[in-house]
Amino acid sequence: MVIVQLLLNGLIIGSIYSVVALGFSVVFQTVRFLNFAHAGYYTLAGYFTFLFLVQFKFHPAIAFSFVCVVVVLVGCMTEFFVYRPLRRRRASSQSLLLASLGLYLVLQNLVSLAWGDDTKTIRTAPIVEGHNFLGARITTVQIVIVVVNALLICTLAILMRTKVGKVFRAVANDNDLACCVGISTDHVIMGAFGIASFMASVAAILLGFEIDLTPTAGFKLLVMAMIAAIIGGIHSFTGAALGGIVLGLAQNVAIWQLPSKWQDCVAFALLIIFLLFRPLGIAGRRGSDNGVESQ
Amino acid sequence: MDYSLHILILVAIYAGSAISLDLIAGHTGLVSLCHAAFHGLGAYTTALLATRAGIPFPVSILAGVVIAVLLSFAISLPSFRLHGDYFTIATFGFQMILFGLFNNWIELTRGPLGVPGIPAPVIFGWHVDTNLEFLVLAASFCCFSGFVVYRITNSPFGRVLHAIREDEVFAQANGKNTLYYKVAAFAVSAALASSAGSISAHYVTFIDPTSFTVMESILVLSMVIIGGAGSPLGPMVGAMILVTLPEALRFMDLPTSVAANLRQMIYGSLLVVMMMFRPQGLVGRYRFGR
Amino acid sequence: MSLMSLSDSRLANHADATLHCHGLRKSFDGTHALADVSLEFPYSGIVAIIGPNGAGKTTLLNVVTGFLRPKSGRVMLGERELTHQPPHRIAQLGVVRTFQNLRLITQETVLANVLLARPNQKGERLLPALFRFGVAAEEAKNREEALRLLRFVGLNEKASELAGELSYGQQKLLSVACCLATEARILLLDEPVAGVQPEMVIQILDLLRELREQGRLVVFIEHDFTAVRQIADAVIAMDEGKIIAYGKPADVLERAEIMEAYIG
Repeated sequence: MVIVQLLLNGLIIGSIYSVVALGFSVVFQTVRFLNFAHAGYYTLAGYFTFLFLVQFKFHPAIAFSFVCVVVVLVGCMTEFFVYRPLRRRRASSQSLLLASLGLYLVLQNLVSLAWGDDTKTIRTAPIVEGHNFLGARITTVQIVIVVVNALLICTLAILMRTKVGKVFRAVANDNDLACCVGISTDHVIMGAFGIASFMASVAAILLGFEIDLTPTAGFKLLVMAMIAAIIGGIHSFTGAALGGIVLGLAQNVAIWQLPSKWQDCVAFALLIIFLLFRPLGIAGRRGSDNGVESQ
Repeated sequence: MDYSLHILILVAIYAGSAISLDLIAGHTGLVSLCHAAFHGLGAYTTALLATRAGIPFPVSILAGVVIAVLLSFAISLPSFRLHGDYFTIATFGFQMILFGLFNNWIELTRGPLGVPGIPAPVIFGWHVDTNLEFLVLAASFCCFSGFVVYRITNSPFGRVLHAIREDEVFAQANGKNTLYYKVAAFAVSAALASSAGSISAHYVTFIDPTSFTVMESILVLSMVIIGGAGSPLGPMVGAMILVTLPEALRFMDLPTSVAANLRQMIYGSLLVVMMMFRPQGLVGRYRFGR
Repeated sequence: MSLMSLSDSRLANHADATLHCHGLRKSFDGTHALADVSLEFPYSGIVAIIGPNGAGKTTLLNVVTGFLRPKSGRVMLGERELTHQPPHRIAQLGVVRTFQNLRLITQETVLANVLLARPNQKGERLLPALFRFGVAAEEAKNREEALRLLRFVGLNEKASELAGELSYGQQKLLSVACCLATEARILLLDEPVAGVQPEMVIQILDLLRELREQGRLVVFIEHDFTAVRQIADAVIAMDEGKIIAYGKPADVLERAEIMEAYIG
């Protein structure tokens, strides 16, 4: 059953796309800029997992918590030392974007300097044959990936429907309004960076058990996450999650018929199709305006 | 002597390319992350046409330009109707995909093996085979690129580009079809980038996908920002600094891999520092994104 | 002050065209910003739109100029449908606007802002810009016209300053100058005198009168009733996305004042 296997593979990688896209989207929706440093958080998390788990031989639970703490700290530091001062200087979203590219370069090359450019592996367990599922194979690790990602996505989706979500949207829609009702915009944005870097850490830890680490893999994943966010709807949390799954499935179903070198082109083709016909994504409302009010 | 000639040639090619990126990033205010992909398009087009079909250089460079312009429409027409962020994501995606194709479409590009033995270009009987002659070619390209960008940015056309950069809605309210301007600026930028790629391919005589990664795109973008976006001299100064910087690091006796990483860290930190403290770059006047 | 000509060919095509809307509806997140708005503007003159915040005044302007798409309804200029035209097309057809939050190219000179607004420039196309066929002569003509307009609005001495360095009132004047530079007959101004110093208000209102003399239609949104009373030929009162009154200033303003007193 090739197609079942492909769908399963699509679901697994799609759930990773979703989590990365969701983290990226939380920052995009609150601060309205493309945070390329998100790939840096992801890369850092992968290598810190390697450090704590393989090099220091910590207990997995301790190692994973350390990773999350360190990476969330880094995420918040980028906000505190770079993005916040930039916002204070009334920099545009384009300047924030360029600064985030710079931050990504710094983070990724720190990783390269510390661990080298060759691949590292955190897969300590021997490779086992997976469980049978409708004629396809799925390993325990893969089940864990899907389940953890699903839980994470649901938690965030529920969180965003509560008062917390309302606060985030208030900051996203109108910074001044949020200030007026007594919400500190800076705190909310800091929270967004915390959530984003946490999501990136989880994705990195999980995918680390599937795919070996390279310092530049984060950037490739971020591209997919950004495309996923557009497919799902860049202005919606559920959209980002949905887009990830759709993209993962589409890419894997495509290689059923196409040579695998075209797999990434499928993502790009999907992006162009959505930009042309449904720029607000699957979750976005129709009838877009020409955008005078959504400056 | 030959070493300094080599550096000068690199500076000239990168400066020509950075100037063309400045047209879209600096003058129009839209961050493109696929400049290296257009280099690659030009480089692979001329390299393959020259090595496999013996097509003369002036024809193959034009072929590269045509392909680059057509592909630029595939990015710009869908994404420019939307906010600039969509464009940046589309260019980012395009860059990743094109690199993947250079790397994996082995039947065409020989993948990681690259295309060796690219002959010295012959331009209307002029055999460009010494480094000095290459410097003349690279410098003329740089001047041409500078001339084109200077002409169109110092015209009513450029006025509209600058208006789009600062406030696209205002440009629309004044009756400007902003889509046309963005698409045209991006196409010119792609065409010049492709030519830069063609020239550099014939200079180094060997190309492989690693020269056309997203890091290369970010490098050219850093040249524009660090030198000064939207100014005639900025990208040139940026290219000069960022090309000579790794050469300076070379004298520090670092292992090659460390030097490469260190270099990229320096670009990265410079980008952050410029955005925070000097958005107009080293020699520019326009304060980027303020 | 010289009378400006309205003999542009594009205008001649719509010389007798009036601006009218039919059944415009628009809502944001469930609230009705426009709830079935139909109205016909006069051919020329000064029309004020008043109403409390959130009445749908700016939304109406945005819909008419194509920056927002209505959920239903039509905007017409004479026989010509404007509804689904992009904003730049509507501006080219002679309906232009200013913005409440003053959109200008602040890092460029005052003159460059006005020049930008000049219509049909050859040098705005890529190849003529590169090869410069007759661009210099055209540019000189446009520059002359732009300077004339700046003189007309009283900003000629500021021509080479950056637009961002002008005072708030001067920026409002500049945005009107940009509208005039497009040679449009219909000007929609979003709060042209709000937040402007009193002597500047007088200058702006004089300018609007001048535009009426030229046979243009000036529609403006304003909260300040005294300004409205001084110059408007007709007043439209809006509330909750509906037009609640449209008529002579005295009548409408009286009603509006009574309503305001009730609501507080």
